[in-house]
Amino acid sequence: MEDLKQELKEKIIAALKLADMTPSDIDNEAPLFGDGLGLDSIDALELMLLLEKNYGIRLQNPAEGKKVFVNIDTMAAYVAENRTR
Amino acid sequence: MKYSSYVRMTPSRVVLNEKMLTFEDSGKNLLLEIYRKAVGDWPKFFKMDPLSKVGFVSTELLLSTESPRVKDCEDRAVILFNRSGSLADDRIYEGTIRSREEFYPSPAVFVYTLPNILTGEIAIRNKYYGETSFSVLEKFDASVMLRTLEAAFVDPMTRSAVFGWVECGSEEEFDVCLFLVHREGEGMKELDEKEFERIWKI
Amino acid sequence: MKRAVKISDNVISPLGTSTVENLDAILRGESALRVHSGSEKDIPEDFCASLIDEESLSGEYLNAGIPLEEYTPFERRLILSISKALSGTGIDPSSRRVLFVISSTKANVELLHSENPSGKEYPGYSAVKVASFFGNGNAPLTVSNACISGLSAQITAVRELECGHFDTAIVAGADIQSRFIISGFQSFKALSPNPCRPFDSSRDGLNPGEAAATVIYTWKEPQEGEWYAERGAVRNDANHISGPSRTGEGSYRALKAVMDDPEELAMVNVHGTATVYNDEMESIALSRAGLSAVPVNGYKGYYGHTMGAAGIMETALSMASLDKGVIVGMKGYSECGVSCALNISNENRPASGKAFIKLLSGFGGCNAAMLFRKKGGAL
Repeated sequence: MEDLKQELKEKIIAALKLADMTPSDIDNEAPLFGDGLGLDSIDALELMLLLEKNYGIRLQNPAEGKKVFVNIDTMAAYVAENRTR
Repeated sequence: MKYSSYVRMTPSRVVLNEKMLTFEDSGKNLLLEIYRKAVGDWPKFFKMDPLSKVGFVSTELLLSTESPRVKDCEDRAVILFNRSGSLADDRIYEGTIRSREEFYPSPAVFVYTLPNILTGEIAIRNKYYGETSFSVLEKFDASVMLRTLEAAFVDPMTRSAVFGWVECGSEEEFDVCLFLVHREGEGMKELDEKEFERIWKI
Repeated sequence: MKRAVKISDNVISPLGTSTVENLDAILRGESALRVHSGSEKDIPEDFCASLIDEESLSGEYLNAGIPLEEYTPFERRLILSISKALSGTGIDPSSRRVLFVISSTKANVELLHSENPSGKEYPGYSAVKVASFFGNGNAPLTVSNACISGLSAQITAVRELECGHFDTAIVAGADIQSRFIISGFQSFKALSPNPCRPFDSSRDGLNPGEAAATVIYTWKEPQEGEWYAERGAVRNDANHISGPSRTGEGSYRALKAVMDDPEELAMVNVHGTATVYNDEMESIALSRAGLSAVPVNGYKGYYGHTMGAAGIMETALSMASLDKGVIVGMKGYSECGVSCALNISNENRPASGKAFIKLLSGFGGCNAAMLFRKKGGAL
């Protein structure tokens, strides 16, 4: 699980072009949206693409994404349970 | 039309109000260097497409000469032109959907496949609520741009504008000639076709 | 007092190749929206759209003398629409006093899918080809302001006339719903799989649409019964590059800039794309501008979102319907799904007033409004 969290952080930084950030800057429990990383609606869509591309998970709509993308912990748990690749 | 500042930028050279600015890098790295040295506090820069990066840093340089820097206003427009529209980003987006096997259309890339996103980025950065407009021409044409600028000032709200040419083929190929123009400007230089052409040739 | 007077217009869509044909079709409640298999565009997901059958226009192209092999479908449709609008006006499009303004969001972008687009992918190239077809040598403008392009093109054209730069402006818009655009909007989760439902509580996205439309303005004294553009304004939300402002900031400011007396308005023809956020934003802007009581309508339930053509075709259809004294019903709407209540009906209803506002908003935070008036008494 810790490896998956690390991997997710690296992929998020690359996909969302969070320049100047390293995985250690992202706390597992810190909110990804709002005050946390300050991500926006386009980032949310890009995270959906990230799940599809890397783990074969297709979320139907951004509302579904909201529950998954709370923080790194929730995202990793969801990926571990639902990944098809 | 009067102007208070101009910036002329190519991948290897930056001129701000007759002064050559010295940077170590060129092309893509020049954009990054300008961002680091002259902006620094706007991480959205890294998410931008080539056209927006080019237009954003050159506008930041242009506005750095304004004192105090005008923000949060409706009377400043952003009126830009180029030849390629958003083709630099269009090609990147096309790359994300090229084959049926590797079909992963990226929303973050797609959103930039419109050249006026750049005018929006400038408006957001400066809280400009005024007119924003992007037009494409077959080639650089100072006379057509100035004519259209004059027409834009028909809007009685508009008193000044970030105006000019922002051509971008990629992060390595760009050509910028921007002005901060004013409806009235005491002691400011006149921006006519001849002056536009002169600065374009710098 | 001289004004930018509308001399002629044209709308080409799956529902017809003239403004009148289109108006008659939508007054009968017809919609051009169909569910299409993704395989038609070589994309995984199905989509609902209004697409023009290029074959069906071949006779029209022949009549207009447009050699098919020399022009892309995007260029042909523009030329056909302009030809039809020019017909019978006596305007010489080759005159140095005539300006061409083209409105498009993506022009020939689909050519990027081929190995060698050979320069045809540049939007300015197409604009020159179109103007040259009519023998016009002035540098044409291609306005590229996302979804407000059709209005910003008209606003630019009208101002060029007001400045005395030209006597006549030909404003034409079109977009082709390519794999490029549809896949992009799908990636944004902005498309509805069904015919869209503007302002409705169950709305779930827009439909892409294809059309070509033209409106021609001449600077002159308006005669009884003629439409003219009073003024237009573009304002930015200064908030987000894709998400509409939660306070309707830019649209509200654009409305304020063009509005005189709300009492004179027969209607506001909104953007009404049927995405959750756009329609909500428009309702807030209209309410802030004091327009809650004015009849509101929109045409996306008939045509989907026709991108660069939208602002032009929606202006032409609004003028034509008000000439008949009718406000076209907002197809797809049944129950209010926006936070600020507006005066909306899904049925055709009688119009009163001699002016209307056309409103649009788009990516890049841009918003446009334009006020049109008809010379003379009531409609």
